[in-house]
Amino acid sequence: MKSRKRVVTSPVVRSTITPKRQRAGWPLRATNSRGSVSTPGTRSPVRIEPGRGGAPGTAGATTEAPPAPLDLSVDIGRGLVFANPILVASGTFGYGIEYGDVVDVNRIGAICCKGTTLKPRVGNPPPRVTETPGGMLNSIGLQNPGVNAVIEKYAPLWQAWQTKVIVNVAGESVVDYVEVARRLDGVPGVAGIELNISCPNVGKGGLQFAIDASAAGGVTAAVRRVTDLPLLVKLSPNVADVRPIAKAIEDAGADALTAVNTLSGIAVDPGRRRPLLGNVFGGLSGPAIKPVALRIVYETAQVVSIPIVAIGGITELRDVLEYLAVGAVAAQVGTAIFADPTLPVRLVDELADECRRLGLTSHQALIGTALPARRGSGAASAKGVEYRP
Amino acid sequence: MTMRLVSAELVDSREILPDQWLQSFHAPELASGARAGQFVHVRTGDLSGLVLRRPFSFNTADPVTGMITIHFRTVGRGTEWFTRLRPGDRIDVLGPLGRPFEVDPRSRHLLLVAGGLGIAGVRMLADEALRDGRQVVLLFGAASAREVYPSSLLPDEVEYVVATDDGSLGHRGYVTDLVPQYEAWADQAFACGPHPMLAALSRVVAGRRERMGVATLGRKRGGGRSDAFGSTAARRKAFLQVSMEQNMGCAVGACLGCVVMGTNGQPQRVCREGPVFGVDEVAWEGTWSQVLAEAAT
Repeated sequence: MKSRKRVVTSPVVRSTITPKRQRAGWPLRATNSRGSVSTPGTRSPVRIEPGRGGAPGTAGATTEAPPAPLDLSVDIGRGLVFANPILVASGTFGYGIEYGDVVDVNRIGAICCKGTTLKPRVGNPPPRVTETPGGMLNSIGLQNPGVNAVIEKYAPLWQAWQTKVIVNVAGESVVDYVEVARRLDGVPGVAGIELNISCPNVGKGGLQFAIDASAAGGVTAAVRRVTDLPLLVKLSPNVADVRPIAKAIEDAGADALTAVNTLSGIAVDPGRRRPLLGNVFGGLSGPAIKPVALRIVYETAQVVSIPIVAIGGITELRDVLEYLAVGAVAAQVGTAIFADPTLPVRLVDELADECRRLGLTSHQALIGTALPARRGSGAASAKGVEYRP
Repeated sequence: MTMRLVSAELVDSREILPDQWLQSFHAPELASGARAGQFVHVRTGDLSGLVLRRPFSFNTADPVTGMITIHFRTVGRGTEWFTRLRPGDRIDVLGPLGRPFEVDPRSRHLLLVAGGLGIAGVRMLADEALRDGRQVVLLFGAASAREVYPSSLLPDEVEYVVATDDGSLGHRGYVTDLVPQYEAWADQAFACGPHPMLAALSRVVAGRRERMGVATLGRKRGGGRSDAFGSTAARRKAFLQVSMEQNMGCAVGACLGCVVMGTNGQPQRVCREGPVFGVDEVAWEGTWSQVLAEAAT
C-alpha cells in the first residue's frame, strides 16, 4: 500500500531515545518521506546553550562546568524538525506577525497559522468569543483571506524565519482540502500542513470529517496523494471513541496527529436568555478541556505509531510535562497566549531548565512515561480499553 | 507607538459611581505614547478560571506624571478582581492597542457624545482637544442622575450637557436627542456608548449635510478626493467617529474574535481596525447575511 511506505518495521533507535522508550517498544520514527534512515547527523537540531534563554537560574550555571548540550528538537518526519516541542496553536497566533515585538517568533518550535480555506471566508456573526469557567468559547467561523492570499502575503515573511510555519487547512469537501494542499505544496515558507477536519462535510450531508473514521481517512489519503509536505491531522474530541479515527488517519498516510481540537459547546446570555454567540455553537478551549485532551492523547498514543502533538489547556510547564508523559512528542499552546503572549517562549526555557535539573540531554526521556507498558511491539494495551467508564 | 507588555503599579482606586470604578496606574511607557481612543488589554490575576484579558480604554494618560487611568463597571469576576487591588499592586498591561480618534487639524469645535460607561472611551479626547486649543462640548446620557459622571472629573473648559432617561437631571430622554442642537456648531463629533445609541447617532448625523444646506458651503471636507476605506485620511474627514465595543480575545488582531461588520462586506476587527471607526465604515442596520448580500451587489 502506497500510503504505508514509511511504516517502520524494525525500530531504529535514535541516540536521543531513552531506555524508557526502548522498553516501551514503540515503533519509532526513523525514516523520512524518502525512506532514508534519519540519524542525528542528518538533522540539524538547534542546541540551546546554557543561559541562552535568559531564564532565571540558568545564568549562574555558566560559571560552573558547562552542562551537556541540550537537544529539545522534535522530528516529525518528512524533514520537518521543530527546534523545540513548544508550538502555538492555530487561530490563537494569527499568521505569526500580530504580536509584533512582544513575542520572538524564532524561539517558538513552530507556528500553526489561522485556518485557511480555498476561498476567502467572512466567518460567523459576532459575538464570536466568550469566557467560560476555566476557558473560552469561540466561533470565528474560519474567517480567512483564502489560500492564495496567505501564500502571497504571509509565506514570504515566514520564509525568513527560523521557526517553522504549519498552515492549518480547512474545507467543506475533499476537493477543497486537496486543492488547498496542492497550492501550498512547494511554497517556500510553508513547512507543513495541519488538517482541520472538524468541518462539516457538505458532500456527506454536513457530517464532520473528524467524527467518522472513513471520512477522516479519506480526506487524509486524498491530501497525502497531492503533497509531499509534512501532514498533521487534528483530531476532534467530539467523538465517542477517537481510536479508530486516529488509526484510519495514520493508515491514510498522515505524518503526525494533533490532539485535540475544541470541544463543542454553547453559552447563554443570562440577561437576554438567548444564545450568546452569534453562531450559537462554539468551540471550548482553555484549562477546562485539559483532562479531556490528556485522555485522548493517552488513548491515541496507544494505538498509533506516528507522533502526536498535544493541545488543550496548557498554561504552565507542568501541563507540557503531563502531555509528554501520556505520549505526546510536542505540545501546542493556544488560549493561554491571549492571557500571556510570552508563555510559549517561557515554556521553552522552563522545559530546558527542567531537563537540566533531571540531568537529561533531551526531553525524549519524558515522553510516554505514563503510558501502560507494552509487551510486544505494536500490541494494543489492554488497559487502554478497560479504563473507560 | 508599538504595543508593549508592561507592569503597571496601582496608585489609586475609587468607586466614583455605583459599581463604577476609576483606577490610576503608574505606567510611564504607556502614558507617553497613548492617544485618545486607544486601549489597554489587562491580565486578571485570578487565573484559575479567567483565561482572557480585559480591554479598557485609556480614560486619561498623562505623559508628565506617567499615570494612566481606566474606568470600568463591575460586571463579573474579572472586573471585580480589579476592585480588590490595593495601591502598590502590579498588573500586567498590553498596550497601547487599536487605532485612535483622528481629529482634523482644521476642527475647532469638537462634540463628544457618551452613553453611560461610554464616557471612558471619549474622556481622553477632551484632554487632547483642549491641549490643542479646541473647544469641547460633551453630551452625556445616563439612566438617571445617580449614574451621571461627576463634572469634577472633567476639565473646567469642557461644556458638559447631561441627558437622563428618567429626567432626574438635565434633558429628559436620550443623549442623541441633543445632538441636532450642536451639529451646526460642531466641526467633528466623537462618540462612545451602547450599540443602540451609536446606531441611533448614525441615523441622526446621516441627514446632517442636507439639514445644514448652505452652511456647509466651502467647508466640505475631502473636496472630491476619496480615501481608502478605513484609512486614517478618510477617518479624519468623517464628521462622526465612534468607538466600538465587542467581546475580545487576543486584542492584537490574531484571533478575529472581536469583529463588527463593515459596510464593505468585510468583518472589521475592533482591536485592530478599531476600536474607533468612521461612522460610514460600520454596517448599523441589517443582519450579518443581509449586509453581506448587499455588499456583494
